[in-house]
Amino acid sequence: MNFDAIIIGGGIHGSATAYYLAKAGLKTLVLEKDYVGRHASGVNAGGVRLLGRDFAEVPLSKEAMSRWQTLDDELDGDTGFRRRSLINIAIDDADMSKIQTRINSLAGLGYNHEVQIDQQELRERLPHVAHNCVGGVVSEQDGYAIPYKATTAFRRAAERLGATFHEGETLANLRQIGDTWQVRTDKATYDAGTVINCSGAWADKTAMMMGDNTPLSHSAPMLMITARMPHFAGPVVGAISRQLSFKQFENGTVLIGGGAKGFADRDSNHTTLDYKKLALAAETTKTFFPIMKTAVINRMWAGLEAYMPDNLPVIGAGVNARNAYHAFGFSAHGFQLGPVVGDVLTQLITTGKTNFDLNPFRIDRFERKVL
Amino acid sequence: MSDIFDIAIIGAGPGGMSAALEAAQQGASVAVLDRKATPGGQIYRDVTQSPLLDPSVLGREYTEGAELVRAFLEADIDRHQNADVWHIGENGEVLYSQDNQTRRLVARELIISPGAMERPFPIEGWHLPGVMTAGSAQVMLKSDGMVKDGAIFAGTGPLLYLIVAQYLRLGVTVNAVVDTTPAGGVGRAMQHLGGALRKPAYLIKGLKLLNEIRRAGVPVFRHASNLSILGESKAVGLQFQQDGRTHSINAGHIFLHQGVIPNLNMTRALGMEHHWAEQQLCWTPVLDDWGQSSIPHIAVVGDAAGIQGAEAARHAGRLAALKAMNKLGKLNDADLQQESSANLKAIKSFKAFRSFLDAYYPPTPEHRIPVATNTLVCRCEEQTMGQLRAGFEQGAKDPNALKALTRCGMGPCQGRQCGHTVSELLADWQNKPVSDIGYYRLRSPQRLLSVEELSQFQNIKPVQKPAEVSA
Repeated sequence: MNFDAIIIGGGIHGSATAYYLAKAGLKTLVLEKDYVGRHASGVNAGGVRLLGRDFAEVPLSKEAMSRWQTLDDELDGDTGFRRRSLINIAIDDADMSKIQTRINSLAGLGYNHEVQIDQQELRERLPHVAHNCVGGVVSEQDGYAIPYKATTAFRRAAERLGATFHEGETLANLRQIGDTWQVRTDKATYDAGTVINCSGAWADKTAMMMGDNTPLSHSAPMLMITARMPHFAGPVVGAISRQLSFKQFENGTVLIGGGAKGFADRDSNHTTLDYKKLALAAETTKTFFPIMKTAVINRMWAGLEAYMPDNLPVIGAGVNARNAYHAFGFSAHGFQLGPVVGDVLTQLITTGKTNFDLNPFRIDRFERKVL
Repeated sequence: MSDIFDIAIIGAGPGGMSAALEAAQQGASVAVLDRKATPGGQIYRDVTQSPLLDPSVLGREYTEGAELVRAFLEADIDRHQNADVWHIGENGEVLYSQDNQTRRLVARELIISPGAMERPFPIEGWHLPGVMTAGSAQVMLKSDGMVKDGAIFAGTGPLLYLIVAQYLRLGVTVNAVVDTTPAGGVGRAMQHLGGALRKPAYLIKGLKLLNEIRRAGVPVFRHASNLSILGESKAVGLQFQQDGRTHSINAGHIFLHQGVIPNLNMTRALGMEHHWAEQQLCWTPVLDDWGQSSIPHIAVVGDAAGIQGAEAARHAGRLAALKAMNKLGKLNDADLQQESSANLKAIKSFKAFRSFLDAYYPPTPEHRIPVATNTLVCRCEEQTMGQLRAGFEQGAKDPNALKALTRCGMGPCQGRQCGHTVSELLADWQNKPVSDIGYYRLRSPQRLLSVEELSQFQNIKPVQKPAEVSA
């Protein structure tokens, strides 16, 4: 069978890229080895965060953030997005001056979405915060979405526009013959003009088949969620200098993250939790919010996620083959970029250019480094 | 004192206690962790301290448990009651809460015995106040001596008749027994009749129970189908069909039961291999004859290994202990074979008997796989069959995908109540065998765990010298 584009990987970026490509009129196929949203895209913390982004990511993240506000309408689906604001808490003057320095740097680049708040305002926004917290920084547009729902919303919208999704089909080999990519899987062989690597924790393998090496690693960031409890936190909460991260959903459950990593075996899709690190996250959470002492943990889990050495994703064209593109290695903060990355790739594929500076995200950026 | 043991046993039911006794007798250092205040498990719950004046109304099988519990209490075993295990590591580490402290022990070999639970009975209105399982009626009776007058008992299986008989012996009135065992039981079970005849005492016991119920004058509706609970905010009665006629019976208390299934949460959270047991219509860990699971140092015994009953669990417990001793280098291969043979033989005959029971008392499809769209499947997150169907139609074909989309199975019970139903629904909708569908991916904690308890895991307490438990 022939397609204009074949996407390897049915996470949020694969599904969103399928949506934008289909919207541009390309006949698109997504190949997913498990099921759509099975890994990081379906089980992440759902943070939709512009606050604290690497400066290189800010333009993309800002565009994505404005799209999240109306994404349900755009996709005619339910991503579960809720705008709640995100506050990173400062516990001392050193934290406060870090905030000030960053805000000044952002202002120099023309950005004003991060705003410093003092202790009084912090307590107004988060009445249950510990008394020793001195202030913080807020980004008003931030919030959360439900990862599996958001990924499904992109997938369904893409399917309505004619994109095809094959689940349980694993890529075996890629060959470029003239202008055609021959895509062989464990079930069939397809021809495509363009291939796009959205393979997450497996993206280095896909990249290799496209002729590009990449220093990707993978890990298993861990999460836990409480049973329902009375509402005490509207905003999503983080901290400047501690591994604190949680959000309370509308149903009262509290999702606790913080970036602690478990153990990952990507060959078997298997992750193992590191309970000592989760215990530390529990300790940190109740230190910042004493009300959390009585919370009960209901579930803990981890997802397989791809990391790059500089914690920045790879987005853009391949360097060793024509009509090959990458979007992977989001290093545990790619979910929010879902509504923009696929569109940028679609612009590249259909027009050869984009308004965004993708230089920091080149796949060959590590090859020039002298170690 | 050391927190390292040769063998740790989780669960002090008949399987766990028998394993502990055998291992202790063979000279191993043994720790037993049990979440209840006294040993015995569900079957021998409070057998040495029954609230009833005459516990013999509960039957001989129950009172015979007292002997095992006494032997267990007298043996050289580190017994830990009220020890609620919330994590078992692949490395043999066991984390548990006791007296509001997080504690830890490590064992070279683990034998887990998490027991059984009653099969969910997902019919319209099964979530309403007033509807309980027959098993919980029995728990109330065993632990607190509490009963409900004028109730309806509905479903199928020996435990249903046993609890009705126990009620009647105590002089409690029973409104009706609505029996969903399909007609033609003898035909269905004929090929297993040999198995039944190997346990004549059990067969006679079963027939006696039925006679006892009939003699007491309780209306028994046989071959009932299409059950649904009547009522808006609470149960007011039961509706069902029999011989093409629709019946409605009023009652404020309805006890449902259609057999028991393994309690999967611990074996699933450990990542053990499981298979769909077609005979018992449930997921079961893949085990060898000694209860050895796919994880090298963990064995599973008792009903969590597949429903066999308390007597078989005792043999399975001994076998797992013998195998553990063999793996520890404390029992040679020849002795293992010799000491195992009687137990292996006994289990074989219990299995044959169980095949007969499973064939005779099948839980019917209409009461396992919800037919009405408004029937609740996930009680914790209040997800109906219709809502799950909508999620399925949006592309969620795997139990975990359906969970992520609908929250079905995300609540505090961790899918205990809906897991089997969801596997069977997804199989039914895709016309696939259940074995192709799979089950929820589960993890520790095995139960709700306070943030306080979890945070203590940074500063863990070793195992505590067990308190003396009096018989």
